[in-house]
Amino acid sequence: MHMANELLSVPVAAGTLAIAAASLGLICRKVRRIITSDKLALMGILGAFVFAAQMVNFQLPAMPGTSGHMVGAVLLAIILGPHAGAIVISSVVIIQCLIFQDGGLLALGCNLINMAIVPTYFGYFLYKMATTGPFSPLRIYTGVILACVVAIEAGAVLVPIQAAISRVLAVPFSTFLITMLGVHFLVGLVEGLVTVAVLGYLQQVRPDIVLDSLPGKVRLSRKAVLVTLIVFTVVIGAGLSLLASGLPDGLEWSYAERPDQPDFEPAVANQDHRIVAVDDFHSKYSPLPDYSIRTSKLGEPPQQEVETATGWTSFAGVVGSALTMVFIWLTARILQKKKAAKP
Amino acid sequence: MHHAYIDKFAYQDSHIHRLDSRVKFIIVLIFTAVVISLPPTSLSVLTCYAIGPFTILVLGRVPLKFALKHILVVSPFVLVLALSCPLYDKTPFTAAFGPFTWQISLGWMRFFTILGKFIVTMSALIALVSTTRFNDLLTGLQRLGLPKLLIIQLGFLYRYIFILIDRAHHILRARAARKLRNLGTKAELKIAAAMLGSLLIRSLNTAEHVNIAMQARGFDRNWRTISKLQIRSSDLLFALTAAFFLLGLHFFVEPLLQ
Repeated sequence: MHMANELLSVPVAAGTLAIAAASLGLICRKVRRIITSDKLALMGILGAFVFAAQMVNFQLPAMPGTSGHMVGAVLLAIILGPHAGAIVISSVVIIQCLIFQDGGLLALGCNLINMAIVPTYFGYFLYKMATTGPFSPLRIYTGVILACVVAIEAGAVLVPIQAAISRVLAVPFSTFLITMLGVHFLVGLVEGLVTVAVLGYLQQVRPDIVLDSLPGKVRLSRKAVLVTLIVFTVVIGAGLSLLASGLPDGLEWSYAERPDQPDFEPAVANQDHRIVAVDDFHSKYSPLPDYSIRTSKLGEPPQQEVETATGWTSFAGVVGSALTMVFIWLTARILQKKKAAKP
Repeated sequence: MHHAYIDKFAYQDSHIHRLDSRVKFIIVLIFTAVVISLPPTSLSVLTCYAIGPFTILVLGRVPLKFALKHILVVSPFVLVLALSCPLYDKTPFTAAFGPFTWQISLGWMRFFTILGKFIVTMSALIALVSTTRFNDLLTGLQRLGLPKLLIIQLGFLYRYIFILIDRAHHILRARAARKLRNLGTKAELKIAAAMLGSLLIRSLNTAEHVNIAMQARGFDRNWRTISKLQIRSSDLLFALTAAFFLLGLHFFVEPLLQ
């Protein structure tokens, strides 16, 4: 999600640069007070560690062929504290811009805010909030995964906002927002799982490093991972579909009607009688037309005017995401079987 | 060290390399701002602006293939977002080029402009970084007012990136040699966590050794480099040329091409 120069207008770029510079200045002043000079080398080398850690990739579950890697903002925030963590990740973003040319020079302000400052502080405080009270491994799990997901989502939400204020892209804001949220939900989930696993490993091998942040013993158990995954899917699915209610999604937007432009001509229109018949059939018999519960009887065309509660939209979101996951899982399973069957 | 430095061309020597890093940095910043503020239909002006970074790359003896390859590597995010423009913006637009005119949508114009701007500003950034040693750039940034703590942080980071990436490669090679098939999600995650954890522990150990060595040599929170910065007449000449180039394009060429 490295923002590029071209997706921003000059005022937005300048404004975010100013905000990022001011907050970095403040954080630097704060860090100088709390960090002794023998921690300086440590911070620098941990920044380099973030780069190296991004090279370590691993197979993602349910999606054969794709691999994930870790970003490390929350891990560093937990180990170093939020201020030092923010400085380390900021320096990583600056080096990514200057040495690896990832993200533009003028977009650096946006990138610093979206990927360094917001995620580290959000992640750290969420983690702290979730893990106060008596220690339990489940609490650490949910704390870390929640911190990772929300921290990364919080940064990802800012990207469409900055792009929308800049008015360079033509993508409708809602579509862009939902896409970013969806993609970064997965990213955050993977990040959370890896962060938990790394914390567990560190506690086994070098408990002194995580002494302050991890008061008890954390072990990876399949049940806990499954429970967290299910809870998160339900929560995020419900949240996302509340957002999605009423707004036509990206693909629909390109061919269906546009409420804001009455004279907009659909880019794709097919008047073939078979297709019209299938459409008709589909709208008459689908159980959850347009992600809300049917108000008309099966076999009758849906009544457009009836208001359906947003709760039903959320319900449709949860059911839909569950079905999608089942579908993805089955497809992956079949693909794997086929691969295995081949000699 | 099994991989090439990504900024190996910064260690060459040319007239461009000898310029003051502050001057180069500020000019690239202004250039980027000017380019991204161009209207979304000004494709032809962009090619004129492209002359700037092109000249610096050529004078700095940075291979163009290297620059283009780099731009390609970092382009996916921009490409996807730019591709959404033709999907949503279907206002008709007449494009004319020489004797040809054709009808396309405004969305495609925006797409090509975003892509063009991306290539031009990225090559300007590549021109800056591959003609300036990172230490000089850091000293310049420090003089421009970046906090000292951040400069130290960036200096360390740059010093150790390549070493730790090498270590990560070693660990990855060891895994590739031992793990011959997919072991299932839980085992894969556990292995990755162990790799990351041991990488982290090795980084912490390195940091401890480096810190002891630094304390032994009297480190006092000051970042001292041997790079000396001073503005010479060649820097003034370069700044003047850049100003003429930008002002000329903005006031004389842009109105012609609109």
